Amino acid sequence: MARKSILRTLNVTATIVLVAIFAIPFLWMISTSLKSYPETVIFPPKWIPSKVMWSNFQAAWESGPFLKYLMNSVVVSISILLLQFTTIILAAYAFARYSFKGDKLLFGITMVTLMIPGQLIFLPVYLLLSKWGLINNLLALILPFASSAFGIFMLRQSFKQVQEELIEAARLDQTPEWKIILRIMVPMARPTLVTFALFSFIAHWNDYFWPLVMTTSDAARTLPIGISKLREVDGGAAWHILMAGNMILVVPILIVFLFGQRQIIKAFVYSGVK
Amino acid sequence: MTFWSRFRPYVMVAPSIVIFSIFFIYPIFYMIFLSFYNWDFINPVKEFVGFNNFVELFKDSAFLQVLSNSLNYTLLSVSLSIVISLLLAIWLNREGAWYGFVQGALFSPHIVSLVSVSLVWMWLMDPKFGLLNGLLDMVGLPKLEWLSSPDSSLLSLVLVSVWKGVGYNALIFIAGLQSIPKDVYEASALDEANWWRKFYKITLPMLSPTLFFLIIINLISSFQVFETIAIMTNGGPINSTNTLVFYIYEYGFRYFKIGYASAAGVILLVVVGLLTLVYFKLLSRKVHYQ
Amino acid sequence: MAQIVLKQIEKSFKQDKVIEGLDLTIEDGSFTVLVGPSGCGKSTTLRMIAGLEKETGGEIWIGDQCVNGVEPGKRNVAMVFQNYALYPMMTVKENIEFGLVNRKVPRPERERLVKEITEVVGLAEYLHKKPQALSGGQRQRVALARAMVKSPAVFLMDEPLSNLDAKLRHQMRTELIQLHKRLGATFVFVTHDQVEAMSMGDRIVIMNKGLIQQADGPMKIYDDPDNVFTAQFIGTPPMNVMDRERIQPYLNGQLHDDIGQVGFRPEKATMSLESRPQTGHVHFPAHIMTRETLGAEIIYQLESALGLVSVKSFLKPLESASEVNITVSMQDLYYFDRNGVRARQHERSEARELIVLGGKHS
Repeated sequence: MARKSILRTLNVTATIVLVAIFAIPFLWMISTSLKSYPETVIFPPKWIPSKVMWSNFQAAWESGPFLKYLMNSVVVSISILLLQFTTIILAAYAFARYSFKGDKLLFGITMVTLMIPGQLIFLPVYLLLSKWGLINNLLALILPFASSAFGIFMLRQSFKQVQEELIEAARLDQTPEWKIILRIMVPMARPTLVTFALFSFIAHWNDYFWPLVMTTSDAARTLPIGISKLREVDGGAAWHILMAGNMILVVPILIVFLFGQRQIIKAFVYSGVK
Repeated sequence: MTFWSRFRPYVMVAPSIVIFSIFFIYPIFYMIFLSFYNWDFINPVKEFVGFNNFVELFKDSAFLQVLSNSLNYTLLSVSLSIVISLLLAIWLNREGAWYGFVQGALFSPHIVSLVSVSLVWMWLMDPKFGLLNGLLDMVGLPKLEWLSSPDSSLLSLVLVSVWKGVGYNALIFIAGLQSIPKDVYEASALDEANWWRKFYKITLPMLSPTLFFLIIINLISSFQVFETIAIMTNGGPINSTNTLVFYIYEYGFRYFKIGYASAAGVILLVVVGLLTLVYFKLLSRKVHYQ
Repeated sequence: MAQIVLKQIEKSFKQDKVIEGLDLTIEDGSFTVLVGPSGCGKSTTLRMIAGLEKETGGEIWIGDQCVNGVEPGKRNVAMVFQNYALYPMMTVKENIEFGLVNRKVPRPERERLVKEITEVVGLAEYLHKKPQALSGGQRQRVALARAMVKSPAVFLMDEPLSNLDAKLRHQMRTELIQLHKRLGATFVFVTHDQVEAMSMGDRIVIMNKGLIQQADGPMKIYDDPDNVFTAQFIGTPPMNVMDRERIQPYLNGQLHDDIGQVGFRPEKATMSLESRPQTGHVHFPAHIMTRETLGAEIIYQLESALGLVSVKSFLKPLESASEVNITVSMQDLYYFDRNGVRARQHERSEARELIVLGGKHS
């Protein structure tokens, strides 16, 4: 019996150490963001700043057009989501409930797209968008993601699971197709849509690579890029400002995560397990 | 079947297919096409050079270094990540609020922007004032160079990647573990199986689809590593953290050697393509499905 | 071959006490069935015997050994699970010999045992196949073979036939009974199906809400139930049980104060068109609501002053009229006290004796 409780205490201690490994970077970020510059360059490093510098956040925010960055992030992420909802609902429904010539081929094209990451095709896409004059335009950040192969895949599964009888009953009632989609299929696939929305919004909100490649000036840049540019502030490492800016990026997501932990984890894991 | 109802499915799939074709399928072919040319983007004329770009690539010691870096980085980060996350999953696969909290803590790096993670770790790894060296010093160990030395820079990036990735992998493993019916383990208890037999003969085989999935996903995404390099090291010091995507980025966007960068892109395409093929082949054959 | 004794077993899940004060002796070599509705504790009890659940109080004895802390693998018991729990990525052969390998049984010995078992169970052609390739019935045989190859003293079975179709279930019942006769080991079988319980067990343990309602041979349980629950659990359709106030008007003589409910079996009631009261019988009018014509048997549901009543007739023509009169002999009445416990002392003892001696029971 005693042996069991020793094991249990060891186990709990180990999990606490584990949590620490994952929490410490965030905690250190918070600590740094509240320090003054001199306190960041001392060794050995201190945890608690002697004077809390709330002004760091203001300095970070004012170091660049952060309002613009924020607006751009919001516009891009939401636009992508709205466009995606439109395109994937239509396509998923077609793939799930209709059979038409070439449907396997077209679905195949969709699935192939799943395997093509942004980092592979950014160069040719850049050239293409440049030819169309869309570089440094929010459209360059939105259009390529106007649909999602992943979303179509998930939604198609969901749609396929809706009982045939439900739709047949609706058809017998002379329900127009669009109503079937909007009033029956979509509500039944709500969990999947919510999952997908979470997934897509977070991915595009956090995206650094694509906006970096496709934008050349602050007019179209998004929050992650804005934060990363803080590295160049003051011609040296102004870590306290940098971390303060980082907080602006991290804290909203962490708060959302805290409240929706179960749902968010389920969303990501479910999408992975397919 | 009215005309509209025959036409309709195509209309519904069209927007998505158009997007995919323009932004995903066509670029692949365009990139392959470009790899046979020299082009500096400004000059409208492209110069056909056949396989020359590829030859140049493999003659460039920097590129070979890049390939080697990519390989090392991938092998290290994927194997560490998978093994650690599997062990974590087995350990943390329990009910209760505390374990739910621990799992959540594990997962939190995944959901935060990679930019943020890179910045925080860059600061943590600062050789002079970073917390990591501070902790090392506190326990009497020597300080490390982390990102500023070509010997440890790649490893430092691997560390960041593992830290960010284990949570996601572990949670997926946990989902996989939970799909194994409990009565199979109970039957094995009655068959006097020790922990090793249970793991090797039941857990591992039943986890194999999940395992393969995660290995491939991790492999593919580790070949695509960019953010951490762009933010933390810029490819250096001395090219020690230059990897494929960053190399393509530099040659395309900084040196404007479009054809050359495209050729490197084709190499990446081949790698990702091969991995995907392997995944699907293995999937249909070796992996156990219920 | 071992006797199983459960002494004052108690089981709680967190704060929920599901089993309390359970005493049960399972005879060596018997085919004992644990039966009851969902949640009655029968599976939990079985799993405690196996060692898959830990009892929170009390002792479990298998043979002459108290197995309270002993691991499942070392209790000399084998179990067949409801969903078979076969090792999915191993072949049939590997499934069967898994336990033997763990116990480091040498190869030639293993081969011999597996060969013997597969012949008995009829799996010889499937040895190299994996469970997904087998049908439900075949998987069940593999589960059985896996259990048998260990030559355990006790076979535990947790609703093993529930997932089979009706025909296969019937066939497997017979096979299991024959297996039991052949092996002579102690079989403990859990089911929720009372028909299955009655047809298979030589001893039946009826459980409800963690308590044993009655433990006896099947005919004794049928003829002589200890309480209302048992009376209504065994028998299709269930015994007609009604409150004393309902039936009192139709009885000569006053029911004793202790009695709370009175019951009679549907098969003991007869129907007639005319009203023919007889001494020593309960006689009352009723209105037929439904008829289930099952061939040899016909089951009637009737509405009467005594409430809803079922009557089962055997090899008689269908009664098509809707107003009938029901007759039940006083000797066929069962009395229960206000707590639902059988009040045998108030039933006319001579009449009772007549029935018990004349009937078949083990």
